[in-house]
Amino acid sequence: MKNGFTYFLGLFLALALAWTGIVLGSHAQLGRLSPYFDENEGKAFPERMAGIAARGQLVYQDLGCAACHTQQVRRPDFGSDKARGWGDRQSVARDYISQAHVQLGDSRIGPDLANFGARPLAVDPDRLTQYLYDQHGGMPSYRFLFDERKITGERSAKALKVAAPAGTEVVPTHRAEALVAYLQSLNNVYEYPEARPVEPAAAKEGEHK
Amino acid sequence: MTTVPPAAETAEVTEIDSSARCSLLLLLTCAALWLVLSGVLAVVNLVQLTTPTFLADCPIFTYGRSSALQQSIFVYGWAANSGLAVALWILARLGGEPLRSLNWLKAGTVFWNIALVVGLVGIASGDGTSNAWLHLPRYVLPVMVVAYGVIAMPGVLAWTGRRSPMTFAAQWYAVAALFLFPWLFSAAQMMLVFAPERGVLQALVAGWFVQGAWTLWLAPLALAPAYYLVPKITGRIIPSYDFASLSFWTLLFVGAWTGGRHLIGGPVPAWIATIAVVSCALLLFHYIVVGVNLRAAFSANGSTVLRFVAFGLGAYVLGGFIDAATAMRSVAVVTQFTHFSTAQSQLALNGAFSMVVFGAIYFLGPRITGRAWPSLGLIRAHYAAAVIGVTGLVLALFGAGWVQGHDLNDATVSFATMAAHTRPWLLAATAAQAVLLFGNLLLAAHLFWIGLAKSAPATGLFQSAPTMEASVS
Repeated sequence: MKNGFTYFLGLFLALALAWTGIVLGSHAQLGRLSPYFDENEGKAFPERMAGIAARGQLVYQDLGCAACHTQQVRRPDFGSDKARGWGDRQSVARDYISQAHVQLGDSRIGPDLANFGARPLAVDPDRLTQYLYDQHGGMPSYRFLFDERKITGERSAKALKVAAPAGTEVVPTHRAEALVAYLQSLNNVYEYPEARPVEPAAAKEGEHK
Repeated sequence: MTTVPPAAETAEVTEIDSSARCSLLLLLTCAALWLVLSGVLAVVNLVQLTTPTFLADCPIFTYGRSSALQQSIFVYGWAANSGLAVALWILARLGGEPLRSLNWLKAGTVFWNIALVVGLVGIASGDGTSNAWLHLPRYVLPVMVVAYGVIAMPGVLAWTGRRSPMTFAAQWYAVAALFLFPWLFSAAQMMLVFAPERGVLQALVAGWFVQGAWTLWLAPLALAPAYYLVPKITGRIIPSYDFASLSFWTLLFVGAWTGGRHLIGGPVPAWIATIAVVSCALLLFHYIVVGVNLRAAFSANGSTVLRFVAFGLGAYVLGGFIDAATAMRSVAVVTQFTHFSTAQSQLALNGAFSMVVFGAIYFLGPRITGRAWPSLGLIRAHYAAAVIGVTGLVLALFGAGWVQGHDLNDATVSFATMAAHTRPWLLAATAAQAVLLFGNLLLAAHLFWIGLAKSAPATGLFQSAPTMEASVS
């Protein structure tokens, strides 16, 4: 390795090739994915995230929720994702195209949240807000997302049903409300053509599996 | 090509070592402080896994943030500072000239570490980006790229201005790490933070960056001292330099392609995971060559420096084989998304990288300060604590991950039951991490001791190699 130029070129190529292959290669394949317009329903999927939910995604990001929760459902025969009720179909790239910051996650200390919005806990916003305040199993409480304040006039409609000193109430902050709205928005149920589960048993002679 | 480093025939301490004393000690002191801090946070994180209420009311220490802080401190605080210090010193020694532009080096170190502090405050207060290995907020990232370039400059000058046109394996690895990281780091910043890619492409870029940061930056930073120290201390030549070169290029060309193994089954093209499996298998060639070429480290007795390096090399090669095994879909179905992956990264970072760099620090410390280490006992205690800590931590996390993986695949097991099953393993991991932290505290204390010692004794006392050695015999 006497030749410095060859060495330098090698370094550059090593980095550039992997980048070209992985990043540009998948960009060529997925970069132009567009929302899928369903004529029967008269709208395109995935739907755009509401403003408050998009703000909630920032809360999800800054608290590092992805340290314990994934947002990706694997195909039914790979792991127990479907059996656990995390989703009927595997997640596909099109599910994520409208998200500003994709939070796939790489650790499942808690359950997957890709379709969390469809689960009983998420359907009722008050219950979900209360859930974030309390501590449940392995998930810590997020009390710093709530304000304890004096009741002035009437008790707030948003106040949680928790024990608070007399004359005070516990109300969710804007951040807590945004996070709840985001978690409720997580729901990829629309079945895109590419998301239909592969049926391995259906292969016949002369047909590709 | 001769394979015995040229400094061997001259005096042990020369102008090359003493001139860089302040600059390298600055890097190493910062590194040791960050290492201790990251160890404290690692203990906090592990306690939180078994006791979720621990510090939960404090937003800074909520698990997501404190684990991001811990990771950033380890990688950009400890690994970057210490790896660069060792790489620069090796490049100076093998180049045969004292390091140049040392004031720039000091300025770069100060800027890098100030930017890191600001970035950590940013993560703690909610500006983190939630990208693995790139949690630091956007406003410090450009400063860090420039600071890295400034720190790397003396190393590049030592490489281009080397006395001999011949080069050594240690130099290839060190220079590769100096050059490749700024490219990799700035490309990842562009595609993840400043102009984020669309949809799952972000996850692909993140996978490429994390894997690249290991195979193109930290692994070379650890292999440079390994390739320098093993032949130098044992006095034996590297068995095959041709294979060393092939193995070097294999790591660089194939390494970053293995990033997709974390995305098996995910919403990304299936070929990403397939290429990762193939690349992991190809990369085994690199690990085998490293193991065979540096096997002298395992048979050397007497030198504590070599013991650190040998443990690190063992962890490095073992980690390569475990990575290849878990890239297989049949294994990944159990290990994916579990503590098993954490164990793998701990094996690489605490086991391979840190141990080799510890060895290098114990080797270069007396040479740049002109004093022998004040206490051999402290070094032995650090070695014992590090070996027990790393082994315990990695084994406990492997156990926890395996249990967790099987529980996850059984839909009837609730997350509460899963937490109960992994609890004993995680408690063991916490204890091991605490032992590791204790060992690393010893290193930090020792480094302050040797660095702050006022009257450096005459270097003549330390001109012979054996006295410089942290040798046990």
